[in-house]
Amino acid sequence: MSLLWGLLWGLAAVMLIAGGAIIGVWWERKVAGRVQMRYGPQQIGPAGSLQMIADVPKLLFKEDIVPEGADEPLFRYAPLAVFAPAAMSLAVVPFAAGWAPFDSTVGALFFLAVPSISVIGILLSAWASHNTFAALGGLRAAAQMVSYEVPRSLSVLSVIVLAGTLRPTDVMAAWEWWWIPLTFVGFLVFLISSIAEMNRGPFDIPEAESELVAGYFADYSGIRWAVFMMGEYGALIATSLFGAAFFFGGHRLLPGVGGIVAMVVVACAIITVVMWVKWTFPRLRADQLMAFCWKVLTPVALVQLLVAGVVAAWL
Amino acid sequence: MAVDRDRVRTPRTVSNDFAAGLRGWLDAGRSLLTGLGITGRTAARTPVTVRYPAEKIRVSPRWRGALRLRGLLGHDEIPLISAEPPGYNAVIDDLYRGERLPPCVGNCPANVDARGQAFLIADDRIPEAYELVRSRNILPGVLGRICHHPCETACRRNYYDEPVAIRPLHRFAYEEYRKVAEERLTPLPVTREQTVAIVGSGPSGLAAAYDLMTLGYAVTMFEREPQPGGALNTGVPTYRLPRDVLYNEVNDLVALGLDLRLSTEVGKDVPLSVLMRDYDAVLLAVGLQESRILPIPGHDADGVVGALELLWAANHRGEAGLRGKRVLVIGGGNVAVDAARCALRMGAADVSLACLEGEDEMPCHPWEIEEALDEGVTALCSLGPKEVLTEGGHVTAMRMQSCTRVFDETGRFAPEFADEFTDVPADVIVFAIGQAAKLDDLLGGTELLVSGRGQLVADGTDFTTSVAGVFACGEVVTGPGSAIVSIATGHEAATSIHRFLEGRPTDDEHRVRRPVPVYARYAKADVAGVERTRLRAVMPMAKPEDRARDFRPVELGLTHLEAMAEASRCLRCQSEVCVGCTFCARTCPDYALQVERVDDPGIRCLTRYDLDLTKCCFCGLCAEQCPTNALTHTGQYELSFYHRDLMTFDKGEMLRDGGGTRATGRDGVLPPSCPTRPHRGGEDR
Repeated sequence: MSLLWGLLWGLAAVMLIAGGAIIGVWWERKVAGRVQMRYGPQQIGPAGSLQMIADVPKLLFKEDIVPEGADEPLFRYAPLAVFAPAAMSLAVVPFAAGWAPFDSTVGALFFLAVPSISVIGILLSAWASHNTFAALGGLRAAAQMVSYEVPRSLSVLSVIVLAGTLRPTDVMAAWEWWWIPLTFVGFLVFLISSIAEMNRGPFDIPEAESELVAGYFADYSGIRWAVFMMGEYGALIATSLFGAAFFFGGHRLLPGVGGIVAMVVVACAIITVVMWVKWTFPRLRADQLMAFCWKVLTPVALVQLLVAGVVAAWL
Repeated sequence: MAVDRDRVRTPRTVSNDFAAGLRGWLDAGRSLLTGLGITGRTAARTPVTVRYPAEKIRVSPRWRGALRLRGLLGHDEIPLISAEPPGYNAVIDDLYRGERLPPCVGNCPANVDARGQAFLIADDRIPEAYELVRSRNILPGVLGRICHHPCETACRRNYYDEPVAIRPLHRFAYEEYRKVAEERLTPLPVTREQTVAIVGSGPSGLAAAYDLMTLGYAVTMFEREPQPGGALNTGVPTYRLPRDVLYNEVNDLVALGLDLRLSTEVGKDVPLSVLMRDYDAVLLAVGLQESRILPIPGHDADGVVGALELLWAANHRGEAGLRGKRVLVIGGGNVAVDAARCALRMGAADVSLACLEGEDEMPCHPWEIEEALDEGVTALCSLGPKEVLTEGGHVTAMRMQSCTRVFDETGRFAPEFADEFTDVPADVIVFAIGQAAKLDDLLGGTELLVSGRGQLVADGTDFTTSVAGVFACGEVVTGPGSAIVSIATGHEAATSIHRFLEGRPTDDEHRVRRPVPVYARYAKADVAGVERTRLRAVMPMAKPEDRARDFRPVELGLTHLEAMAEASRCLRCQSEVCVGCTFCARTCPDYALQVERVDDPGIRCLTRYDLDLTKCCFCGLCAEQCPTNALTHTGQYELSFYHRDLMTFDKGEMLRDGGGTRATGRDGVLPPSCPTRPHRGGEDR
C-alpha cells in the first residue's frame, strides 16, 4: 500500500516538475526578454505562453544520438540520476499545516542530502559520454556542487537550531514572524549556494552553453537533454518551495487554504529573483567561485548560525 | 606578443578590485544591487516594437546561397549565335534581355559573333569560324584589317589584362579560309522569282546582297569602277588593305551566285529608271564620292585637292605629283590621317596635319594618329583654316586661325576662334573635312527626292526612300562612318527589302530592332607581372621608317599557332561555361575557392574546383566577377550539415542542379532570376 502511495506521489512530483519546467522556461524567457529590452516569446499562444507546448514535441522528435564509444547504458540513464533527486526532494516540503508528502523526522536532512545525489548523475553522464570536455565539465560541476553543500547546509541549520527539530512540519509549527529578519542573511546564503548547486548563472561555469557547449552534457540531445533541463528546473522549484517554507514561513503567512497560495507566491518570487540574477550578472571564474564559497559564504553562514544559536539559547 | 599586465590600466568604473575591509564589502554589495536595479528597471519598461518595412517579406533578387557551376569547358560547347538574316535581330534581342549577350557581340554594330569565332578557332575549325563571321560581316578579311574593332573595346578581357585580338583573328580566319575556299563555295540556290538590283559594291551593298541571296533572291550588283569594293577600293590606302583580299572576298560572293557588273555606272550607262522597271527592288548603296572643300578665299587655286581624289590617285596610280612637296592636310579624322600617310608614301617632303580639335579630342582613332606620327607626320592641333594664300594662282601657304573651343557645352559643333593667325607654308593643301554624295547623274529621270543640302531623302532605320521599292543603305544614308556600320545598315536594308517583296510593311510589331547595349569603357588594365603568354598576341608590324616609303602592308598577321592560342584567351563571356579563368578564386576575399587548371595554348581545362563553404561569406563577388555567368548562387543557404567535410563542394557537387543538393535537400528552390520580357516571336519568314 505504501509502495502504491509512493508511486502516486512520485508521479505527482514528476508532473509538478514537468509542468513547472514548462511554465518556468516560458517565464524565464519572458524575464530574459524584458531584461534585454525584448518581449520574449510572443507568437504561439497568448504572450507566447504555448511556446513550450511547441518545443516539447520538437525535443521528443529529435534524433536520440548516442556518441561512438560512449558507455551506452550509463549514457542513456544518467539523466534520470540527475532528475530523480530533484523530484525526490519535493517529498519533504511542508505544504500545509502538519502535512508534507513524506513527513520524516529527519526531513530537513533529507532535503539537504538527497539533491546531492545528482552529483553522481552528473559524473555518470560526463563519464559515459566518452568525451574529454564532458569529463572535465563533470569534474568541475562536482567540485562546485560538493563545495556549495557546506554553506547551504549551514544556512538551513540556523533555522533548525531556532526550531529545535529536523521534522519540516514541526519547524513550520514552531515558526515565528521575527525569524525572517533574524535569518535573512542565512536566506541569502541559502539562495546563493542553491543557485550554485543548481549550476545556474552566474555560477553556471560547468555548463556555460556559449563557451563550453554545455560541459558535462555536451553530447546529449533531444529528450535526454530535456531531462537534464527538467532536473535543473525541478531543483529550482524544490529549492524555492523549501526556502519559502523555512525562511519565510510558507503556509503560516496566511491562514487556511490561503497558506499554500502564499507559499507558492513566495516561491514564485524566489524563482523570479533567481532568473533576474542569472540574466543580470556575468559568470564568475572557477577560482573566484571556489574562493567565494569557502572564504565568504561559509564564514557568513557560520556567523548566522552563531547568531541563531545565541538567540535560541537566550530564549 | 604577450601583454604587459602592469601597463594595462583598467578604468575605475569597470574595476573588480574593491577596497579592503568593510568598505569593499559595501562596495561589492552596492554594485550587485546596482546591477539588479538596472536589469529590474529595464524589465519593467515595455520594450520597443520595431516594425520592419514590407520589403523584409520579399525574397531579395540578390539571393545568396551556396555556389554552383552551370557548365564546364570540354563538357559543354558554347552556343554559336546564328540565325537566318531577318531573324538575327530577334536572337540578339533575346540574348540581350536574358543578359546572355557577350559584350563583343553587343558592341559590334553588325553583331558579329566574335565569341563563336574564338571558340571555333581555338577548336581548329577555322573555315567554320570564317563562315560564321561572314554571315554577319560580309568581308571578314577586309574588316580584319581595317575595322575600328568596337568588339575589342568592349572585350571583358580589357578589365583583366588586354582584349582578345578579335580583328587579327578575322584576318587569320580569312587567310586559312583561302586554302579551302574553292571546295566550300557552292552557289546559293535561287528559290524566288523576284530580283533585286544593288547600285554600288561597297560593304553595305555586299552585305545586303549576301542576305538577299541567302533568302533565295537573284541579286545583280552594278559598280562604276572597273574593280569592286566601293570606298574600300577607292578610298582605303593599299598599305592598310591589299586589294587582292578585297577582290578575293567579292569573288567569293560571285561564286555564291552574285551577278556583279563592273564598269557600269548607273545613271550614265544604265538609267536608274530602267533598273526600277526591270527589277522588283533596287537598293542604292552608292556611298559618298566627293570630298567637301571649304569655300574660303583661294579654295579654287592650283594645289588644293580633296582627300578622296588624293586617295584615289594613290590607290590607282600610286602617284599624285607630290614628290618633294610640302603637303598640308586639313582635317582630323581617319580619312585625313590616311591622306597624310599616303602623301608621305608618295614622296612628299613634309606632311602636316591641321585640325580644329585639340590633341586629345581628335576624331580619328588614337592608334591611327599614333602610327602616322611614328611615320613622320606633323600634327598641328587647334587651328582652323582661314584663307589659302596664293601666288600666281598657285598655293604657297595656308593662313590658320587659332581655335579656342570646338564644341559648345551641349557637345554641338560650334567652333570659336581667337584673333591669332599662323601661316603654314605648303605646296599642296588636302581637304579632308568630310564627304558628300554625288547624286545628280544617278537620280536623273526618277522621282526620288533629294533634300536641300543635296542628300538623298531616306529613312534611317528602315532604309526606305521616297519611292516604294527603292531602298538606300550605307554612308549615303548615315553619312561618313565606318565599314562595319555600313555593313549593319546593309543587313537592315536587306530585311526591309525582303519584307517589301513579301508584300508586308517594312515596319510592324514583328520586326525586332537591334538592341543598342552600352558597355563600360575600360581603363587600361595593369598588366605588370602577367606572363607574356597570357597577354594579347602582338601583331608583327613593319618598322615605321620602312613602311613610310611604300604601300606594302604594315601589319603582318598571326601564325596558325599564335591564332589558336589567342582564340583560347577568349573568356567566352555569358556562355555559362566555366573556362577556368580563375578570376573567381582571385576575387574571393576569404580564399574559399580553390581552382586548379591546365592552361596551355589550345588546352585549357579545370582539374579541380573546390569551394569551402565554411569560409564563404556569401558576398557574391565571385559570381559577379564570372565573365561567363557560369558561376551562380543556388537556393540553399541554410547551412546545416552532418559533417564538416560536406561543406567543401567539389567540381561534381558544384555542377549539380541548383535545386536540391546534399546539403539541405531543398529541392526545387531556385534563386529568382532576372525578370525578362516574354519572347516576342521574332521575325518569321
